[in-house]
Amino acid sequence: MSPATRSLSRKRPSGRKALLATAMLLVAVASAFPLAWMVLSSLKTPAETMQVPPVWIPRTPTLEAYEKVAGVINVGRSMWNSLIIASVTTAGILVTSMMAGYAFAKYSFPGRSLLFSVLIATMFLPPIVTLIPLYRMVGSLGLSASLAGIIVPNLANAFGIFLMRQFIAGVPDDLIDAARMDGASELLILFKIVAPSVAPAIAALALFAFVYHWNSYLWPLTVLQGNADAYPIVISLSRLLSYNRGAVNTGLVMAGATLAVLPPLVLFVLLQRFFVDSIVGSAIKG
Amino acid sequence: MAKAFRASAGIMLAPAVTLIGVFVLLPMLLTVWLSFQDWSTQTPFSEASFVGFGNFNEIFGPTSVGRDFKTALLNTAIYTALSVALILPLSVVFGLLVYQREVAGGTALRTVLFSTYMVPMIAVALVWSKLYSPSEGPLNQLLGLIGIGPQPWLSSPRSALVSIVLLNVWQQVGYFTVLAIAGLTQIPGSLYEAATLDGANGREQFRFITLPLLRRTLLFSAVIAIINAVQVFEPVALITQGGPVGSTNVLTYHIRRVGIERAQGGLGSAMAVTLMLSLIVCVSALFAFVNRKDSE
Repeated sequence: MSPATRSLSRKRPSGRKALLATAMLLVAVASAFPLAWMVLSSLKTPAETMQVPPVWIPRTPTLEAYEKVAGVINVGRSMWNSLIIASVTTAGILVTSMMAGYAFAKYSFPGRSLLFSVLIATMFLPPIVTLIPLYRMVGSLGLSASLAGIIVPNLANAFGIFLMRQFIAGVPDDLIDAARMDGASELLILFKIVAPSVAPAIAALALFAFVYHWNSYLWPLTVLQGNADAYPIVISLSRLLSYNRGAVNTGLVMAGATLAVLPPLVLFVLLQRFFVDSIVGSAIKG
Repeated sequence: MAKAFRASAGIMLAPAVTLIGVFVLLPMLLTVWLSFQDWSTQTPFSEASFVGFGNFNEIFGPTSVGRDFKTALLNTAIYTALSVALILPLSVVFGLLVYQREVAGGTALRTVLFSTYMVPMIAVALVWSKLYSPSEGPLNQLLGLIGIGPQPWLSSPRSALVSIVLLNVWQQVGYFTVLAIAGLTQIPGSLYEAATLDGANGREQFRFITLPLLRRTLLFSAVIAIINAVQVFEPVALITQGGPVGSTNVLTYHIRRVGIERAQGGLGSAMAVTLMLSLIVCVSALFAFVNRKDSE
């Protein structure tokens, strides 16, 4: 090999590495940019948000916009509503999914695979398909314009059952049989013996459900019919935009968006391992 | 042994099956039934009166009801096709960037990409409406740096729908990247070693090993991406209200406007049934296509 080609072949991998690193950096920057812009804009003065060309970094960061948000919407109340909706729904989903997942994984009964297929099919049904009759049904149950109306229809879902069945199927039968010998009831076995051995999957489902229902917009908007006392934060946010159209409200909108993004994003950063594992698990095993 | 637990099975299944039965399956059947009825959403179901295919004739007919619905159907199809066409290739490229071991930082990149999936769509819509702002928004300024003139983004009927596709892709691509990575980890490394010994270069390995073995993953991703895309609502409801001139009027927004806000429950249900049937056709066609490729 001549010196020239050797240096070329040595250069190529490092050129490739530089190219890869550049591509990764570009993708990361493009991905992070909108949220970085959101936070930066929330700290700008009103004059800065309206400047053309745009100001990138606020010269004197101020929390003025956050104070104004608190003047337009009831932030505490909205956050509390979101917390109630997301946590009660999540708790319900965990219990119903674990029970049904256990039955599908560990019992054999007539019609098991048919019932499972029907339930799983609902996972692929866009919510708009059931929205109109569901809206009427919840109204006739006397639940419209209330938090209960948002929560009750979502206390069970197919994804949770699917995920729990996948993971509970991996729990050894011997473990369950031993507990039965000791006379433990099935519910006790599920919550005291099976649940701890699938704890990571339960954590993943809890996080998924919490974030999904914290973020959910269409159903709460439809049920609440303008009852602002029950608004979760994502619906209160929409009032910031209509509050004052145009560039004037940019800081306000960005501050509100930052507040709404914070809880799910913090949960994700703390617990992202579970999120990723469960997506990978459900995709591979499915 | 298993048979002895039939009663337990009933107890274990009862909560989930009852809830999904009452709040998902029952309303789905009601939607189908209502699509053949003249019914106002403000009245009880018992007020509905049978009209045969009347609602379907109307939503596909020449009146404004039909025109608006057909526009919404077409917009949704374009939006879905564009979303899938952008998300799938990007998810594979990003997946390869995260999965490769030549340069460190793959896991950090995955975290950044996936974090956008946690952001409520309403916040995405609000933030992007400001990013797109023609004068004081940063996107046009960035384009200016590379010599591209200012774009009208959400304010022109020609670019508004594509602008919403882009914010959707930004939000969702991290999730699909994680799916792609899951698919990549399933490909045995021995295949690449054998191919390298046979003298296959990187491009050939991608084309003849990576892509074919990712087919199942991509099918799953495509189905999820389609189902997600037809649910687009927040950016339209909040920012464009279906405009300008109907260019962003998509089905979830339109069905809700007709069926809930205008209380035309029968018409809205017929639209929802059409959406459901379109989805079944699309997904079946996708499965048939992939299965035919598999048997080749």
